[in-house]
Amino acid sequence: MPSSLDGLAALHLQVHSLRSPSATLVEGLDIVLPAGALHTIMGPSGSGKSSLLAAVCGTLPPAIQFQGTVHVLGQRVDVLPTRERRIALLYQDDLLFAHMTVRENLLFAVAPWPRAAREAQVAQALDEVELAGFAHADPATLSGGQRARAALARALLAQPQALMLDEPFAKLDVALRQRTRALVFDAVARRGIAAIVVTHDPADIADIERVTHLRAP
Amino acid sequence: MVARVKSVSITEHGGYGNRRVSQRQALARQSLFSPLPVFVDIFSSPTSLTEASWQLLQHAQFLPALALSLWSGLAATLLALGASACILSTGLGLLTDRKKVALLPAMLALPHVAFALGCVLLLAPSGWLVRLLFAALHPWAEAMPWVLDAPPPWQSTQDPYALGLVLVLVCKEIPFLLWGALAQLQRPDVAQALQAQMRVAATLGYHAPTAWWRVVWPQLLPRMAGPLLAVWAYSLSVVDVAWIIGPGAPPTLSVLAWQWLQDADPATRAQGLAAVLCLLLCTVLVAALALILYRMDLGWLAPARWTRGPPQVADGLPVCNDASSAAIGRRLIAALPAAYVLVAAVLLWGSAAGAWPFPLLWPQSWTLQAWQQVLGSAGVLATTLWLGLASTATALAVALLCLECIAARWHATLFSASYLPLALPALLWALGLQRLCIALGWDASLWGLWLAHSLSVWPYVLLSLQGPYAALDPRGAQLAASLGRSRWAYLWLVQWPLLRSALAAAFAVGFAVSVAQFLPTLFVGGGRFATVTTEAVALSAGGQRSLLAAYAVLQWLLPACLFALALVLGRKRRFAQPSITPPCSSRGLV
Repeated sequence: MPSSLDGLAALHLQVHSLRSPSATLVEGLDIVLPAGALHTIMGPSGSGKSSLLAAVCGTLPPAIQFQGTVHVLGQRVDVLPTRERRIALLYQDDLLFAHMTVRENLLFAVAPWPRAAREAQVAQALDEVELAGFAHADPATLSGGQRARAALARALLAQPQALMLDEPFAKLDVALRQRTRALVFDAVARRGIAAIVVTHDPADIADIERVTHLRAP
Repeated sequence: MVARVKSVSITEHGGYGNRRVSQRQALARQSLFSPLPVFVDIFSSPTSLTEASWQLLQHAQFLPALALSLWSGLAATLLALGASACILSTGLGLLTDRKKVALLPAMLALPHVAFALGCVLLLAPSGWLVRLLFAALHPWAEAMPWVLDAPPPWQSTQDPYALGLVLVLVCKEIPFLLWGALAQLQRPDVAQALQAQMRVAATLGYHAPTAWWRVVWPQLLPRMAGPLLAVWAYSLSVVDVAWIIGPGAPPTLSVLAWQWLQDADPATRAQGLAAVLCLLLCTVLVAALALILYRMDLGWLAPARWTRGPPQVADGLPVCNDASSAAIGRRLIAALPAAYVLVAAVLLWGSAAGAWPFPLLWPQSWTLQAWQQVLGSAGVLATTLWLGLASTATALAVALLCLECIAARWHATLFSASYLPLALPALLWALGLQRLCIALGWDASLWGLWLAHSLSVWPYVLLSLQGPYAALDPRGAQLAASLGRSRWAYLWLVQWPLLRSALAAAFAVGFAVSVAQFLPTLFVGGGRFATVTTEAVALSAGGQRSLLAAYAVLQWLLPACLFALALVLGRKRRFAQPSITPPCSSRGLV
């Protein structure tokens, strides 16, 4: 049942329970995020952080049972397939498709037509993440930071209402992590996207008010 | 009963076209094709299976033929396994460069029948290797003229101990086992884990070959159960290769069963069926025995025992105990492709050889007469091509459908199940296909052939895709969905382009399997449709050496072209270089 908050919330996640075959991972969790807000989830390995993000996106493996609801801008989306939820994902592995150029990777996230508009969108997105000169490059030749920025640009091009970040900075060195984090959080705030960040790094939560700590099952 | 017509004289007589040879070949063709319609009532024989089994046990040739089948099958399987393990212990596919692995498709492309025919042309008493030996002995010819005026009297092919058959099977099954092993080793997750374990073993003082036997082999062997079972079943029940290069009196049980199944007498046909079931029983019993021995973890079977304990240290440095296996492996890596090249070369020049009396090393004249004859039989070529392309396309489509529609957690079961057709004796599989086509009303028709080839090709295509599919990151599909793209868009734009190389290779493997099909073509086609393989097997009993070699070359060239095409199609995409250098910009993003 949607609550009265749903009218305001970009993302409302209610978890009655999240169960793996061997344990109950999460119980009685309620996260309400207005547009442009960030929420961090921390906890030890195996506590269900990534499973929680998968439940929001609809990519849970069949062995894990989710009981709860997900609302995006007041619309219940947990009954919809992943591609209709408008919730984008960013993993710690950027998952750029290896057979595509950087530009083609970004084009994948844009509606196929009108063609001219999508090219312009991609060019602008590349420009925003300072990868304009790498449009036709092999993703494998990019540095870690460049790949993370390309993955972010691709996720944002899908114009999501919410963004799930699964330890997205874990593979970057400290200095690069700080800069990339600032870029991602800035993009989330500017675009008014609700975002949930799963992290082990206390530095990630420095600027975030909303934090949930999960316990080991 | 149809007498088996075989001749070791095909290379003993230089030319071709003499009347006696033509008669022999005509008889052989007749024995191959004419009596096929009698297969139809094989299962409705008035003789019960119990009677047929009793009749089989009392047959004078049964026990020697069974012993030959068991010996040749076991020897070929164990030697191929040992050789493959030695080759893999060099680090092939795991530690060494991948260029050596690129030779595998070329070896897989050469069908068993073509390889066997090439070996006959090489090893027969008047074969090229003997001619080479005689040429080397030429300086001493005056001292021993009685030795050099005729081919030696030994049986180097179709020998009574099936050594030639074992040799061909070992050479052909090593690439198959390597292919099965590399499908496992080249999965990124498995490769990373094993490489890390090898590094740990190295830090503990183990040399690479010892570490491989102790760390990799115990983990790899259980994963190779499927390919091993397929090799064992094939080696035990092979008909076409055993017919060409196997012993003749008695032949192996599979050849004997094949002859009995073609007999006009229902009781003899029932006896043939009993022999086929006996082969199935042997396949299952030996496989079960091997499994029990493996589970019992007998000391002498444990790789740790072979590798002789912990690393020994001499003068402060670890001593490698297992360099010999890697050394054998390195020699095999060089020798095996060389053997294939030699076989292919002897087939090529055999196909263009004119008069070639013994003991001349090279033919007296060259002619393209055989090739003109081959190209003249466009129907054979067309049947082979369309069957190969249509059945492989069908098998690939069905395999993709299975992989996409069946949940990933069931894929391991699917891959295990796909080994079952490979574990059946070839004759039983062919009889089953024939029964299916009769039930569908498709026997002796092109539709029936297409179905039989598609079903025979499907397991190989599916198994070719096993490694690449397992290596796919499932998060790619989740990511695509989170970007709002449909499953179809993900398959079309991401997954299948990523698997382009694997799909092309699977198609080439499937085509090679279809081209090599002998029994299904013969049984289901009712002898009405000829392919390059059925022609080559039929010609093997005759004396037209150059025509036989030309068909064998064609049998090899067709899949080789597809493998070459697969290599071209599967090439990694070349990307443009970035138009600017990476900025160490004021915003500091790198």
